Amino acid sequence: MADNNVADNKKFIVSHAPFWHDGSRISLRNYNIALAALPAILLGIIYYGMPAVGVISLSISSAIIWEFVFCRVAKRSVTIGDGSAAIIGMLFGMLLPATAPWWLVIIGTFVAVVIGKQIYGGIGANPFNPVVVAIAIVMISWKDIFDFNEALMNYDLDFVMVYPLAALKHLGVSAVDSFSMGDLLMGKQSGGIGSTFGLGLIAGGIYLIIRGIIRWEISLSFLAGIFIAALIFNMTDSARYAGPVFHLFAGYTLIGAFFLATEDSSSPVNFIPMLIYGAGAGFLTVLIRNIGVYIDGVIFAILIMNLVSPLLDKIRPKAIGKVA
Amino acid sequence: MISNKELQIAYGLAIILLVVGVLSYAVCPAKTPDQPVRLMFKCVAGKVLFDHNTHTAESGYGISCTGCHHNLEEGETEPQACGECHELESQDEDMPSRSDAFHTQCIDCHKEAEAGPEKCELCHVM
Repeated sequence: MADNNVADNKKFIVSHAPFWHDGSRISLRNYNIALAALPAILLGIIYYGMPAVGVISLSISSAIIWEFVFCRVAKRSVTIGDGSAAIIGMLFGMLLPATAPWWLVIIGTFVAVVIGKQIYGGIGANPFNPVVVAIAIVMISWKDIFDFNEALMNYDLDFVMVYPLAALKHLGVSAVDSFSMGDLLMGKQSGGIGSTFGLGLIAGGIYLIIRGIIRWEISLSFLAGIFIAALIFNMTDSARYAGPVFHLFAGYTLIGAFFLATEDSSSPVNFIPMLIYGAGAGFLTVLIRNIGVYIDGVIFAILIMNLVSPLLDKIRPKAIGKVA
Repeated sequence: MISNKELQIAYGLAIILLVVGVLSYAVCPAKTPDQPVRLMFKCVAGKVLFDHNTHTAESGYGISCTGCHHNLEEGETEPQACGECHELESQDEDMPSRSDAFHTQCIDCHKEAEAGPEKCELCHVM
């Protein structure tokens, strides 16, 4: 129904179909994420060799296959073309030690793709980051496999092969002195295949931020949350709590900041909520690391903040187009 | 809407990486070296990470095989693993149980050399 008064007001004019699509697709976003993760994966493969290739390859392919199987069983159209399953598999593999057994990879990608994503309705409908759900479940179920000291005990690389966060937890702050911050940043630390090369992860993250694929608000507030929380702990008792820079470069921090916390459907969409979400996850990470029983807190912190993400989005102004 | 090209990429990726993954697991499994690099002893009091390499290497403590593997005879070069004789629980008075053997060996040597941890929690971690 044409109303001249409204039509005169240029603010309300919306042209009718057909609209012009700029050609970007979900798959392109996911190809970019894969590209951004490549440096970190390559360094993992250089250090850990063919077993790392096996874990990453099997993880990507089994995630795609699980999604294909589920779509067929649920009589939905096959959605593997959007690349989301491949990214889930890739990120899951990056968090694993190179010695992860094949059955763990296959169970993990099942949990991620089917339980973490598809049963909620597929891409964009998952309340939690599927990769983080899967890692949390397999990590609690088979914790010896995620004990990086034990998993990587046959590797003799040219750096300190003790998992930095485990050393901190078990032996205290004095153990941190054996790690140089430069080494940690350059990936010279034991850990997951694709989660140790700090510089590569930062470069990938900056690339994704510039391309507009992930939100800088979440990444930066996550890192700031970790830094500030660790600094507060460190200032209250530097003999018991490690410094903030160590927390930034050790464990899953950087992969969490740029690849896990930023997942679209499980994170808030508005400016203030994104800052609260990121900072909250950062704070919780340090709380779990410093006074919790777990060695690394990134996974559980992100899960908890995923849980409150819909509540954060209630903060006004309301996000345009977002239901609930 | 999914384009055919995207689907083809996904199918291709799934198949190629499945083959690569299976081959990597089958052909190049993570090898256990002949001489251990590090060992993880598991016990109720918390796991112990033992850095075998640092104890044996010349750049480390340079302890000879017989320094610890006490039953090695002249000319023998391949020591047995400790657990082959020292069982988890031992009724035999001449054969200490695994934990007794390790405690005696590790702590005595650490005291003697005035190096290495002597307190429980510095070796045992939960």
